[in-house]
Amino acid sequence: MLNTLKQPKEKIIKYNPEMIFENFDPREDKILRIIDNDGNVLDKELMPDLDDETIIKAYKSMFFARTADEMAVSYQRQGRMYTYPPINGQEAIQVAAGLLIRENDWLAPAFRELAIMLAKKVTLKEIFLYYMGNEQGSKFEFANHVLPICVPIGSQLLHATGIGYSIKYQKKDEVVFGFIGDGGTSEGDFSEALNFAGVWQVPVIFTIQNNQYAISVPVQKQTKSVNLAVKSIAFGLPGIKVDGNDFFAMYSAYKEAYDYARAGNGAVLIEALTYRKGAHTTSDDPSKYRTKEEEMEWDKTDPLKRLKKYMDKNEIWKENEEELIEKYKLEIDKQFSEAETATYPLSDIFDYMYTEMPEILKKQKADFELFQTWKENRK
Amino acid sequence: MRYIFNFPDIGEGLEEGTILQWYVVKGQAIKAGQALVNMETDKIVTDIPSPKAGTIVAIYGSVGETIKVGSPLVEIEIEGVFGAEAVAEAKETIKIEPIEESASVIGTMELAGNSAIMAASDEGPSKQKQDDKPVAKVLATPLARAMAKDLSLDINKIIGTGPSGRVTKEDIQNFKPTNQKIDSVQKREQPATVFSTDEVTYEQLSQIRKTIAKNMLNSKQNTAHMTLFEEVEISELIAIRSKFKQSFSDKNAKLTYLPFIVKATVLALKKYRQLNSQLDLENDRMIYKNRYNMAIAIDTPEGLVVPVIKNADTLSILQLAQKISELSDKARDRKLTLEDMKDGTFTLTNYGSIGGIYATPVINYPQAGILGIGRIVTKPVVKNGELAVGNVLPLSLSVDHRIVDGGDASRFINLIMGYLSDPVSMMME
Repeated sequence: MLNTLKQPKEKIIKYNPEMIFENFDPREDKILRIIDNDGNVLDKELMPDLDDETIIKAYKSMFFARTADEMAVSYQRQGRMYTYPPINGQEAIQVAAGLLIRENDWLAPAFRELAIMLAKKVTLKEIFLYYMGNEQGSKFEFANHVLPICVPIGSQLLHATGIGYSIKYQKKDEVVFGFIGDGGTSEGDFSEALNFAGVWQVPVIFTIQNNQYAISVPVQKQTKSVNLAVKSIAFGLPGIKVDGNDFFAMYSAYKEAYDYARAGNGAVLIEALTYRKGAHTTSDDPSKYRTKEEEMEWDKTDPLKRLKKYMDKNEIWKENEEELIEKYKLEIDKQFSEAETATYPLSDIFDYMYTEMPEILKKQKADFELFQTWKENRK
Repeated sequence: MRYIFNFPDIGEGLEEGTILQWYVVKGQAIKAGQALVNMETDKIVTDIPSPKAGTIVAIYGSVGETIKVGSPLVEIEIEGVFGAEAVAEAKETIKIEPIEESASVIGTMELAGNSAIMAASDEGPSKQKQDDKPVAKVLATPLARAMAKDLSLDINKIIGTGPSGRVTKEDIQNFKPTNQKIDSVQKREQPATVFSTDEVTYEQLSQIRKTIAKNMLNSKQNTAHMTLFEEVEISELIAIRSKFKQSFSDKNAKLTYLPFIVKATVLALKKYRQLNSQLDLENDRMIYKNRYNMAIAIDTPEGLVVPVIKNADTLSILQLAQKISELSDKARDRKLTLEDMKDGTFTLTNYGSIGGIYATPVINYPQAGILGIGRIVTKPVVKNGELAVGNVLPLSLSVDHRIVDGGDASRFINLIMGYLSDPVSMMME
């Protein structure tokens, strides 16, 4: 399968006090970065212990996610799918987390987490179904412990903390990955979730995908703080700002956070500094609030280009990218067709909200069934 | 198999979009996902990709035209017919519907009113004509909707007897259609001469050209044009401009004569409100404008556009220069919005920057006047009883003679000339 990743073999349960976190104090606005824009290693000491095969797989996962993302935008523009939020540019963060997340670990996504959802074995078909408005798109056949896509900003982190508490209470060996955007950090839910995660010392890794914009509001207008990672201090959590477009930096930060949380030390906060290359959603036109020059500047930090340059420099990439993209497109198209031809049991829209269906909903459902019968008889 | 690709709702609740650029031509083979057309909607400017692979056999709508969501964009032959065959077929299909007349498919383009706005994009000034447009979607049960559709009834015209006026199954069954109007193809006023395609090349009118044509004719038919010519010696203005050109340039502003002319005209408009007005014959009254919004005619490859400098009386020469460059850039990039075009109270047309000494400018109806600026000519003038080399700026003022008398027109242009020949006097106001 294209969307599965091999777990790294090493298994360190005990928390290592020589934390990278401690060397990158967000109060001093330090940022963890391991490779530069040209793929050169800046600090060999910090380089995570990953074999070539894992790096190649990670790159392929990023590449696959980007191709799927671009095609999703295209399908939407063809009128075959509704509003879609592109992840283009944010793949390194999610693929790095995807290398660590295990089947029993939990994922509480917002709505721009396609790559890590794929790592959790959510299928593209399911994701496409979701964006076609089909309730079945939130019913994951193969993925375990993945919450449905969460559009109300910030609420998913409360779920993450709650699940973290239940893990701790039941003494399970599980970790929760909760995602939020830069805009979401202004929501009360964000503070509530981090506060109790701190108080209860629950195994939750909070990731802020700081992609610079909350729709059109730049992050500078979102907070007076020196960065977003520094918000961890108030809640008594370790926090770190990481170059979210540097796959190795993201992996190292996650590895440490993961070991820390899994060993029972509590929650951590990672700010992943990245750039949303596409629009907020397909209903948004970023050219109205940001410049081409800014986009070009960020393009130099593109996570795929950087990892590719690293692989080229170290001669570990041997595949033909053109062939790969064709292969991916076929796979994506196949999954899209399956989603497009899937039936939509309309009764879904009545059935799942209440244990006991209220009268008004029963009446609507009856109206709908009458319509169905009439349609059937007409044939 | 033929597949008609209808313009999808790519935003959330869009009604229409304007074609900015076609990427494909009839007969062209395309891949699924390949960009067909660039469209502008209320929310975004974006490429629309093809959902199918095949050959384009028909294209609906030309650049500048507005397409309703759900109306055809292209027709694609999905399998079987390729290349030359498709072109041959495409030529046949083209006869079926000249775009303007396929009222059921595209609709007839109509101006939203008598507004003299000329938009580069079709973002607002023109809209599709719709008869009997319902105020809001009526309430109805899904069954009633489906039945109405089945019987080709317009559910909006049926009076509902259900809760809150909901149209029910019974209402549909009881409905007796009265006076069902059949849409007829709009009558052409003058049948066009048919030429063979060897002799002429047919080209669809762009939205902007249609708007210009309509506005020009509207102005000529509804006003009493009168044009006055004058010459003003502007050596002092030339000296001032050369002196400040560099410092403006340092502030990223291009200093031309236009900001001075805008300033002079606005000052004159303040004295002669008749020129900053419009006639409201229907109500037997004059409408005097309290704002001084200077419309500037700009030549673009697509045609004439007339963006507006709002509250020009409150702007300095530097601010005017900046505003003029901003509007010119936007006009060139086709980025002007309806907001940029509306509420002009008087117009300047600087044709002299291209060529021409005198002109009879057409009033930007319903405004009361338009000032044409000709090419600056170096020629002998008499100064203090002696012959001298003069820099002469020719001016052509057209007014609506219904409301502006000759005397007022002359006094108005005299004042402008005074300001331009002695620019410092503008500061004394």
